[in-house]
Amino acid sequence: MDIITIRDFTFTYPGQKKEALSHIDMAVQEGSMCVLCGKSGCGKSTLMRQLKSALAAHGKKSGEILFDGKPLEALSHREQSSQIGFVLQNPENQIVTDKVWHELAFGLESLGCDQETIRLRVAEMASYFGIHKWFMKNVSELSGGQKQLLNLASIMAMHPRVLILDEPTSQLDPIAASDFLETVRKINRDIGTTVLITEHRLQDVIPYADQVVIMDEGTLLTQGKPEEIGRVLKGKGHGMFLSMPVPMQIYAEADSDEPCPLTVSEGRKWMTKLMTRQGKEPVYKSPDQGTPVGTAQQRKGKDAVSDVPAIDMQGIWFRYERDGQDVVRDLSLRVRQGEFYTLAGGNGAGKSTALSLLSRVRTPYRGKILLNGKDIRRYSDQELYRGCLGVLPQNPQSMFIKKTVREDLYAIIGGAKEKKSSEYPIAMKKETAVEGIVDLTGLHGLLDRHPYDLSGGEQQRLALAKVLLLRPRILLLDEPTKGLDAEYKQTLGGILKKLKAHGITILMVSHDVEFAAEYSDRVGLFFEGNVVTSKEAHAFFAGNNFYTTAANRMARHYFPEAVTGKEVVECLRKSL
Amino acid sequence: MRDDAFSRCHPALNFFYFTVVLGFTMFIQHPVFLILSFLGATAYAIWLLGLKRTLKINFLLTLPGLMIVALLNPVFNHYGVTTLFYLESSGNHVTLEALVYGLVLGCVLFIVIEWFSCYNQVMTSDKFIYLFGRVIPALSLMLSMALRFVPRFAAQLKVIRNGQKCAGRDISNAGLLNKVRYGLNILSILVTWALENAIETADSMKGRGYGLPGRTAYSIYRFDKRDRCMLAAFLLLFLLFSCGCARGAAFAQYNPRILIAGFVIQQHMAPVDCPVPLAFVTFASFAMFCFLPLMLGIYEEWTMEKSRRHTGMEAVLTYRGIYEGLEDGGWTL
Repeated sequence: MDIITIRDFTFTYPGQKKEALSHIDMAVQEGSMCVLCGKSGCGKSTLMRQLKSALAAHGKKSGEILFDGKPLEALSHREQSSQIGFVLQNPENQIVTDKVWHELAFGLESLGCDQETIRLRVAEMASYFGIHKWFMKNVSELSGGQKQLLNLASIMAMHPRVLILDEPTSQLDPIAASDFLETVRKINRDIGTTVLITEHRLQDVIPYADQVVIMDEGTLLTQGKPEEIGRVLKGKGHGMFLSMPVPMQIYAEADSDEPCPLTVSEGRKWMTKLMTRQGKEPVYKSPDQGTPVGTAQQRKGKDAVSDVPAIDMQGIWFRYERDGQDVVRDLSLRVRQGEFYTLAGGNGAGKSTALSLLSRVRTPYRGKILLNGKDIRRYSDQELYRGCLGVLPQNPQSMFIKKTVREDLYAIIGGAKEKKSSEYPIAMKKETAVEGIVDLTGLHGLLDRHPYDLSGGEQQRLALAKVLLLRPRILLLDEPTKGLDAEYKQTLGGILKKLKAHGITILMVSHDVEFAAEYSDRVGLFFEGNVVTSKEAHAFFAGNNFYTTAANRMARHYFPEAVTGKEVVECLRKSL
Repeated sequence: MRDDAFSRCHPALNFFYFTVVLGFTMFIQHPVFLILSFLGATAYAIWLLGLKRTLKINFLLTLPGLMIVALLNPVFNHYGVTTLFYLESSGNHVTLEALVYGLVLGCVLFIVIEWFSCYNQVMTSDKFIYLFGRVIPALSLMLSMALRFVPRFAAQLKVIRNGQKCAGRDISNAGLLNKVRYGLNILSILVTWALENAIETADSMKGRGYGLPGRTAYSIYRFDKRDRCMLAAFLLLFLLFSCGCARGAAFAQYNPRILIAGFVIQQHMAPVDCPVPLAFVTFASFAMFCFLPLMLGIYEEWTMEKSRRHTGMEAVLTYRGIYEGLEDGGWTL
């Protein structure tokens, strides 16, 4: 039976001609898991919000949405509140109260349940989600993953029949994200709650989905079972493929009539089948054997290496409290001029702290940091932050000052007036500078918008543009790909490549293995306050078994050196 | 800081207790009462905060406060019948009464601060919200939300400040004019951020049915058997010593003449006719009242220890039984 039926639904935002959603037809079966995908701004969120009247945007609508056979409008606020659960993107913003237990009870309080019912349901939820350990805590003490889990639990406490999740893991680190998605799957499997989800991390949801719906520019492109989707998209050669799980991407590029692999392990099997047919033997590599060849070596010689490293950290130690643990221990790190270096590593390993030491927000208690050969303490603020070091914060919103993008860009160089000031000491006209940066970051057409009205990826680029207007030679990035979809990542990667070509040194802290593999020159693994290993990106990922890209994990038994999806495809083409 | 037994009692009890001890300390300024209250407060503070912290608070904060009040009172107040000496320069009498009353006031201040250091440990914000949320449910949610926002804002402010610092706009390192400019910038960023993100919070509230009529307020506190016993004890003691006070067992007056029930000072007696046994009962019951939470804590610790020992013994005995059974039966493991 279908719990949600959408018939010929069209929606237009007030004051706009273009339809945000046009002629959507779809149905979600009770108890199924439905994944909605599409590029940013394709109308996924708009559609999902229309499924709950309290959150739906106002505008012109036609067609109908049925919930359990009845029109959605016929359901009262009370029924909708309890039966349709909605989890939003940002874990922080959804939490209303200051205590975990109070947050769990919030929805039930609204519904007017009595003490006994609330006590039971809250206890039930806390036990099911493993919240009982931090049940009495303040929400401000929780990690991001815990916060989002709390949001989920507080909605599940109302026993909804449908659970709608709008990119719930975009603000979480990879481990917390896959834990969260595992919980969502468990709810779907054990309790039978219908799940409708949009997600960037498709590799964690698509294999388990009953139905995948692809949207593009407000229309429904195609829908069906995950394996079918792979084939259909392959036939259409659609750009959406970029954000599909890597095994599906590789499958799409290769000629094969086998069913589409969804997970890494299926991908491996598919690969084996394909290669055995060609009579190829797998190459299993022992750890000491790893001498990177091919593409890896070509990259090495490319960068002009000068003698003075751009960043030179020598034996850095840091701790937050006097009696506390060392967060950064004896960290030594060298980044060459014009190099793109990625610091990878788990959560809480001290990566972000190391970055804050580099940006002089905090100071180490032992050790020395040299930037371009000069001690960081001997720079004046003016020298350091204008023309030497640029820092892109994790949350771009913490940088926006003005009402429009244009004003915001000028604000960082001391206003639109063409005069030399301490904030803008160079001879170039401000207009030219801003224009150049707008070109580089692709902000054309957004200049009159409010910064907060931009999508996540655009906000990121605006923040980057602002940082670049300070003309840094060294760029520090803290998790720049957080919450970005595949397309925005590609754009960002392109921008960073251009910057690198202009000789700008980039140091990135990131969880995003795929992004690091594709764009950075060298990668260091950060562990326990220290860089454990620091290698050329290719050698790094080809040598790791676990901490490596999905493409490498899938194809390493044939092409141990291929790290990105593109390289695997290339190798496949050559050998087929 | 420790999680003591009384803190785990119902918030209404906690609140009742502190209101009574604070009220009686402030308004009954009888020396015996003050001494009892002082002992109770100090003992409980040591129990809750540890000896070191209590001493630190006392010597650094409250003791100087006491001194100042005690010394200032006779300088500015000149009531009383017993002149100690006459200040030629200002033409004022320094009186014994004013001196003594200053001392008493200082002590009251000292003891009240001591009680408050206990209060802060026991009456956490959520308990306070819970108690007053029952009176006005909307207020309790509002307080809870406010308590959520304050640390959030503080954290975001830090993020923004660091971001601005990295853009070369550090407030701590700028001239006065720029300091103001940068500060306003930071404030503006914070406010925009807060307003924008509040929209999502509002969505989340609406999505979970906020605004439906008939909202209830959930609490995690239950009034259990121990709470009932404690309440009975509190009420009984409270009744006893309030009766005593009503009969004048704790009468104290410092102006114009020092009159304290039960004491003869400068050949004067307090104008009360309270029987001596009642006075003793009053003082004893007040002392009991002050020490009750501490006694509860100690009692609970003691039963805890006993039960632990008992469980240990039980296990030993059980296994000894099993082994002996095995040996008797001639079995081997």
